[in-house]
Amino acid sequence: MSTEVVSSKRRLDAGARRRPPFRVGRLVISVVLFVVGVLMLAPLVWLISTSLTDPVEAFRLPPSWLPVPFSLQNFRDVVDLIPLGQMALNSLIVTVISVLGSLFTASLAAYAFSRLPFPGRDSIFVVLLTALMVPTQLTIIPIFILMRNLGLIDHLTALWLPALINVFAIFFLRQYFNSIPRDLDEAARIDGAGHLRILFQIMIPLAGPALSALAILGFESSWNNYFGPLIFLTSPEKMTLPIGLVSLSAGQGGGPAVVVFAGITLVVLPMLVVFLAFQRAFVESVASVGIRG
Amino acid sequence: MTTATVDRVEGVPRQRRARPSTGRSFPLAGWLFISPAMLLFLLFILGPFVAAMALSLYSYDLLTPAEFVGLKNFRALASDDLLIKALGNTFVFAFASVVTHLIGGLLLAVAVNRGLNKVLSYFIRTAVFFPFLISWAAVALLWKYVLDPSFGILSYYLGLIGIEAPGWFTDPNWALPSIIGIDFWHTIGYTFLIMLAGLQTVPNEMTEAARVDGANRAQIFFFVTLPLMTPTMFFASVITFIGAFQIFDPVQIITGGGPNDATITAVMYLYQTGFQAFQIGYASAIALVVFAVIMIVTIVQFWGSRKWVHNA
Repeated sequence: MSTEVVSSKRRLDAGARRRPPFRVGRLVISVVLFVVGVLMLAPLVWLISTSLTDPVEAFRLPPSWLPVPFSLQNFRDVVDLIPLGQMALNSLIVTVISVLGSLFTASLAAYAFSRLPFPGRDSIFVVLLTALMVPTQLTIIPIFILMRNLGLIDHLTALWLPALINVFAIFFLRQYFNSIPRDLDEAARIDGAGHLRILFQIMIPLAGPALSALAILGFESSWNNYFGPLIFLTSPEKMTLPIGLVSLSAGQGGGPAVVVFAGITLVVLPMLVVFLAFQRAFVESVASVGIRG
Repeated sequence: MTTATVDRVEGVPRQRRARPSTGRSFPLAGWLFISPAMLLFLLFILGPFVAAMALSLYSYDLLTPAEFVGLKNFRALASDDLLIKALGNTFVFAFASVVTHLIGGLLLAVAVNRGLNKVLSYFIRTAVFFPFLISWAAVALLWKYVLDPSFGILSYYLGLIGIEAPGWFTDPNWALPSIIGIDFWHTIGYTFLIMLAGLQTVPNEMTEAARVDGANRAQIFFFVTLPLMTPTMFFASVITFIGAFQIFDPVQIITGGGPNDATITAVMYLYQTGFQAFQIGYASAIALVVFAVIMIVTIVQFWGSRKWVHNA
């Protein structure tokens, strides 16, 4: 990067200020970063602008970065081709049940592993932790056979039921509960509060940052899941958004590229809005969970 | 940020024994509280795990009764050229993914961490991280068109500066690198954030002390920041590898494994044998191989980390 100019200049005013201004170096870095940012966003800008363009004029070269002539026809075509609203609702159902359900079971278990003594506790915990190593692909075939025997193929249940267990959430919450002073719950216990009350009125409110981090990561993986729906779902009205989107581009019954673009836009834009609204929470969830090592 | 919570794992049971005030607890409460999670764990993780191992010893197509075949599936795996091709592709992809994400994520984080203009800093964080939140389905479809030979923008702009774009997904030499590039665009934001969080753990006093001792910026980076970042880089390399080795969505959506099996991956082959050809036993054996590879590489990474990770 920018070393020579920068280092000699720093020696001159070292000591004068904590962070001497390296104008040249910082300018170069700023320009490079700006270009990186623009390049990262370029495909998305092209996507949105193309999907808002009249289908006849879309995809002309040189590429148009503005939606001229403007048209919403592509979005109407998407809704005509696939049951997009139903798919969004399916995604929402699966995601909400998966995230809330897995946080519920994880909170109960994490409370027990953190606060309740019972025989076999530590060995059970270690067995649970080994599950962190088991990839979905290994368990998916027996789960598929199980769902088939239960008659749950092409049901949303097949997606959210196995998602109710989140071993990482149990582990992460237990660590968090362990950092909450025991005096708090012991005081509550002396006042006559039961374990459920302590968990829901003391521990869970205090574990807010951990729970929201887990909820955001759970939302991300459930909402975007492609592998599960591909295996379990077959009919269009049962599909979730990712797989419905791919069906839009598939050979028979699919739409032309510009309609697919409109479909992608309809999936990307709500996520962008959610992200911009909760950006801080998103960033912190990745940072807090990522740096557990 | 909850970095501090982790250190207390070992200390806790001791603390508990020191306090006798748990008198009102009885073991039933603990078992009751873990029972929903344990039931689901047995049903959807441990049970299927054992079942997958058992299934790998059978020949089963979901319709006719399963037939015990011993290690036949594994013997067949050893001479399955397509599996070897798939594992090879997956290794190339995972290795490239780890290297590009680590270098790219670290460089970006170090650059952003230099106290840039606030607006620029916000812009770059948003631009780099946001693609990570888009589903692979949307990302794969989008890039299929970005790289389209006739109306894709990349080929067009490369043409403007005199570079003739290859057939990204039709040339066997370019198909896998294209997927690697798309994956970089999609997930670099995650690595970037982890690196950025890791940089916050490098104490200012250390870099400041080096600066006072006359170290220049490059020296500070290579001899102070980088060694203190090795735990973060190690963590990032472990999770990037585990994720990359299971790559499936983009190849399934964009290339379907082609051209000429140039992009078939291990999980994709597993999907084809298990859920398209319904060779359940054989697919289970493939799943076990994928699991074993991930385990072994992770163990090797942990073992090797003693040599390069600070305080490992």
